Amino acid sequence: MTLEIKSDQTINLEGLLCPIPVVKVSQAIKNMAVGGVLEATATDPGVLLDIPAWVKSTGNELLSIKKEDKLIRFFIKRTK
Amino acid sequence: MNSPTKTKQNKLIIAKEMLGNLVDRRVLTALEVCVRCGICTESCHYYQSNPKIEHTPYYRAELVRRLYRRFFDPVGRVFPQWFGAGETTEDLLSKLAETAFSSCTLCQRCTLACPFGVETAEIMRITRSVATATGNAPDILVELANAAIAKEENAELFRDIYLDQIKDLEKEVQDILGSSKARIPVGEKGARMLYVPLAGAHTIVPQAVLFNIAQESWTLGMFEASNYAVFLADGVKAKHIAERITKEAEQVKAKEIIIAECGHAYTTMRWDVPKWRGSPLPFKVRSIIEVLDEYVREGRLHLDSAQNSQPTTYHDSCNLGRKGGIFEEPRRVIRAAASDYREMTPNRLHSYCCGGGSGLVAVEEWADIRLQAGKLKAEQIRQTGAKIVVTSCDNCRHQIKELSERHDLGIEVTSVSELAVKSLA
Ligand code: SF4
Ligand code: SF4
Repeated sequence: MTLEIKSDQTINLEGLLCPIPVVKVSQAIKNMAVGGVLEATATDPGVLLDIPAWVKSTGNELLSIKKEDKLIRFFIKRTK
Repeated sequence: MNSPTKTKQNKLIIAKEMLGNLVDRRVLTALEVCVRCGICTESCHYYQSNPKIEHTPYYRAELVRRLYRRFFDPVGRVFPQWFGAGETTEDLLSKLAETAFSSCTLCQRCTLACPFGVETAEIMRITRSVATATGNAPDILVELANAAIAKEENAELFRDIYLDQIKDLEKEVQDILGSSKARIPVGEKGARMLYVPLAGAHTIVPQAVLFNIAQESWTLGMFEASNYAVFLADGVKAKHIAERITKEAEQVKAKEIIIAECGHAYTTMRWDVPKWRGSPLPFKVRSIIEVLDEYVREGRLHLDSAQNSQPTTYHDSCNLGRKGGIFEEPRRVIRAAASDYREMTPNRLHSYCCGGGSGLVAVEEWADIRLQAGKLKAEQIRQTGAKIVVTSCDNCRHQIKELSERHDLGIEVTSVSELAVKSLA
């Protein structure tokens, strides 16, 4: 059983090509309070690498990133 | 956009030092030689789309000149206000940063018009370097450059994720070709070509289809071709990011590096990297467009233009075209793949920037500025009556897609590779 992650905001990045999903995530995170959780769905498989790399370089926290058939869903917590 | 770690005083010291180092005799001559004659005014897409003094190439250079004089002219040091009344040097620095990143795409079109060959793009590139070093660059460009470095520093961690992703994409390629033998080799030693994609699948799947059809000896690179540090004019990071690719090419002993459809990635690898290394690269560098053109001309790829009968046009990326000299290669492939090809006017060397170049497309807060600056490109597209716009640069692709929404063009934007796959005979 997986614990459900509660998000404070959800964004739809489906159909957007990399690196635009990272651009939108970066902006959404900046508009959130520290501790807030962003949930996003995307379709470009490039996000499977781009999002973890962006999170590593910005110091935010990737709570989960999963492929659900063609859809990729991820949760990021703003840490600073 | 301001780094809290850099104090006001520190910023000024860094700015002065960088400007002193970067403004060499060539740039100084360019700054001095501009007589504000205005001949270049109409050549800039910003001015054409919104005619105001701030959108002229000489206004941009004038700001740099003002800063330079404040730092280095004996009069300017004592009376800085003589070079910009009522404006502090910090204000000038942030105005310059915003100008260099939001109001000049370094497209070099104005240089063609200038009788003295003043390189406003080079002056703005130096300004970007100063802005980056003083913490005034757009955060997202810094984040994207740092993410590219993080990928390399954690290569082992990312390798498995990447290989999994490529396995899925390989299945897509096999489905398109109806053959379980089709492959996407990664890091395969002895392959003649190292193909360097971008992060998106649209720069891997169609190209893999075409390489398989042409029976090419190729392997896919581990790292993406785009280099956001180039937009920041951060030489140290840009070199680091580019070296991930040259190291990989050396490891697999490739004879050629083939760059995905991406303007700045091509010119960086082709012209900047050898300059940074101080020696020519031990392999040839080509754009995928040149390879596809070769396949079509040699009969290794058979395209059927009847598969695409919609009016189609091509947008020249400033990097691939004006800076890279790649004009005819994409046109030959498109003509083979689409039956109703139409040119925009002007085109090739004199093509206007789409407005999204030099990283601007990634800076959300300036989306309005770039979509307005792209008005001219939108009108050019409308005049062709094209329903399909082909471009060989992802920056241009994102921008033109958004221009289509903003200016109601009702077009589809695609790449040369994707169009070629659609027209397979
Ligand atoms: S054409 Fe050349 S000299 Fe004239 S304003 Fe433009 S940059 Fe200056
Ligand atoms: S380089 Fe391009 S965007 Fe910049 S001033 Fe010249 S024409 Fe305008």
